[in-house]
Amino acid sequence: MSKEGCEPFLQAYDIEANKGMTILDALHFIKDEQDGTLAFRRSCRSAICGSCAVNLNGIPKLACNTQLIPEYKKSGAIVIEPLSNHRIIKDLVVDFNPFWEKMNKIEPWLNQKENYTREGEGLSAGQKKLQNFRKENTLRINNSSKCIMCGCCNGACNSLEIDRHFIAPAALAKAWRFVGDAREKQKKKRLEKISEVHGMWDCVRCINCTEYCPKDVAPLQAIERLRAEAIKEGITDNDGARHVESMVDSVKRVGRLDEAAMTFKTLGFLRSIGMIPFGLRMEMHGKMPMPLIFPQIEKIEEVKKIYEEIEKRKRKDTVSGQQSDS
Amino acid sequence: MAKTLKYAYYPGCASQAITKEADSTTRKVAEILGIELHNMPKANCCGAGLLTDYNYDLYLALNARIFAQAEEMGMDIMTICSTCLMVMSTANKDLKNDPKLLEKTNEILASAGIRYNGTIKIKQLLWVLAGDYGLEDLKKKVTRPLKNLKVAPFYGCHSLRPSRALGFDDPERPWSLEAVISTLGAETVEYNGKIKCCGFQVDLVAEDTALEMTGKRLLNAKDEGGSCMVTPCPFCHINLDNYQGMAEKKTSHKLNMPVFHLAQLVGLALGITTEELKLSRHLVSARDVLKESNLL
Repeated sequence: MSKEGCEPFLQAYDIEANKGMTILDALHFIKDEQDGTLAFRRSCRSAICGSCAVNLNGIPKLACNTQLIPEYKKSGAIVIEPLSNHRIIKDLVVDFNPFWEKMNKIEPWLNQKENYTREGEGLSAGQKKLQNFRKENTLRINNSSKCIMCGCCNGACNSLEIDRHFIAPAALAKAWRFVGDAREKQKKKRLEKISEVHGMWDCVRCINCTEYCPKDVAPLQAIERLRAEAIKEGITDNDGARHVESMVDSVKRVGRLDEAAMTFKTLGFLRSIGMIPFGLRMEMHGKMPMPLIFPQIEKIEEVKKIYEEIEKRKRKDTVSGQQSDS
Repeated sequence: MAKTLKYAYYPGCASQAITKEADSTTRKVAEILGIELHNMPKANCCGAGLLTDYNYDLYLALNARIFAQAEEMGMDIMTICSTCLMVMSTANKDLKNDPKLLEKTNEILASAGIRYNGTIKIKQLLWVLAGDYGLEDLKKKVTRPLKNLKVAPFYGCHSLRPSRALGFDDPERPWSLEAVISTLGAETVEYNGKIKCCGFQVDLVAEDTALEMTGKRLLNAKDEGGSCMVTPCPFCHINLDNYQGMAEKKTSHKLNMPVFHLAQLVGLALGITTEELKLSRHLVSARDVLKESNLL
């Protein structure tokens, strides 16, 4: 409905729902029969183009991919709103420029290594091994390649809700598409860029992105892999990576999470001092975590053996990786 | 209830330190309800998601080590931490779905003489109460109905998502926490922040985001008429209670919202004294709210 410049408002429409009717069918019906001014984006009607993401009863979904009657039965209402975390332009149409800006930031194209040979072209034994390695890598980035850029993940993202500068899950899933690609030569540079503030370490792991992605892209999994890859590449001079490293260290040492030691290691000496007034207030309620006197779990030696085994396997992988590269 | 419920009890790291009161209250509640909780003294940390950011194989192996202990004990695991629930359930699902992955993980575990056969389930206190134990039986044990108490349920993220690995509740329209609250005789407050995030995971990494998020959730619950909150997750509790003062400053709103661990709210209705519930360990006092509702 057209009310230029006014506060957002809800408009009720009565329609007869047919079996199999999608939310997009309903929107078309309303536009055709009741309110020609109703604005919404749509194109393919087949969950491919990624145009029609809306909030349905508070949850981001593709209008074309969601049936009306089951939704109504579940919630007792159908409330269709513009995609959350995005500025409204008109009715259900939101401003997607910030989405594309974030996407552009991760440079969504491949920077191919010069020595990369095409698959199947006169391969030696060593190269065949490399080809298998490539297949595995293709599978690793398969999920990220399926993204249709509908913005459901960004719409559901808790971090983006609070911090509009956050790079957000859609761009991070796309970043993994290239970082995880064996042909990519700028892997480290990419990882350094997304390790900056408002980057991948600002994700709160709310899992909304993975839960509500209509194409099983699993952005959180991409974020976890990006983080692991960054640490492997030695990009650890930031709070996020230090936080992870202190956890890895704490579990190895005592089998558990040692809160005080983790705060100290993540924030460093000076910033930890800043936490003292808060710590004292906690202590008044008996809540101050005591550093370094945390009791070890029983059979901690088993945990240490598992760590050693993982390290052994990592070294082996590195050696065989170097062999196939040469 | 025909047979006694028995669980391998995994309180999680937070409830062995900062939120000890959640652990001690859970043990008392279980005793009253006749649920057997068996300690797992060998159990290591699940990694709270951070190990996943480091090395997937290490995360799986360390979680499988926990599961192997429960298998040895012949029991499913019950935790009182949503993040432990999410991390362990995801690992368990991956291992059970992929025999090759389970075998690879067992090869790593063999270095420590451990094997996991993929037979156990992971649950949390909320599911045990609303599912295995049952709300009808819980109702019979209520001796102090929480009348007049307006409770805002806060699920947080990890007791609902990813639903493919958790599967107990509906991630979009969950019911279990509300069902427990009304079984205890209290009134449920409806607000849209209940399935959102408290911000805990970035407390040390992006403090501004974390505090603003915490403040927003608390304010949302307060605006909708909540006089207190309950959460099944100790990490959510740390942000909602311990960080509430800082969140007030950050958002310039007076909040004063006491936050209960799930076990504490249940314990209150089962007649456990407020001293035994260790409410004094919370930074935001529940005294006024409980007095107003004649529960003190």
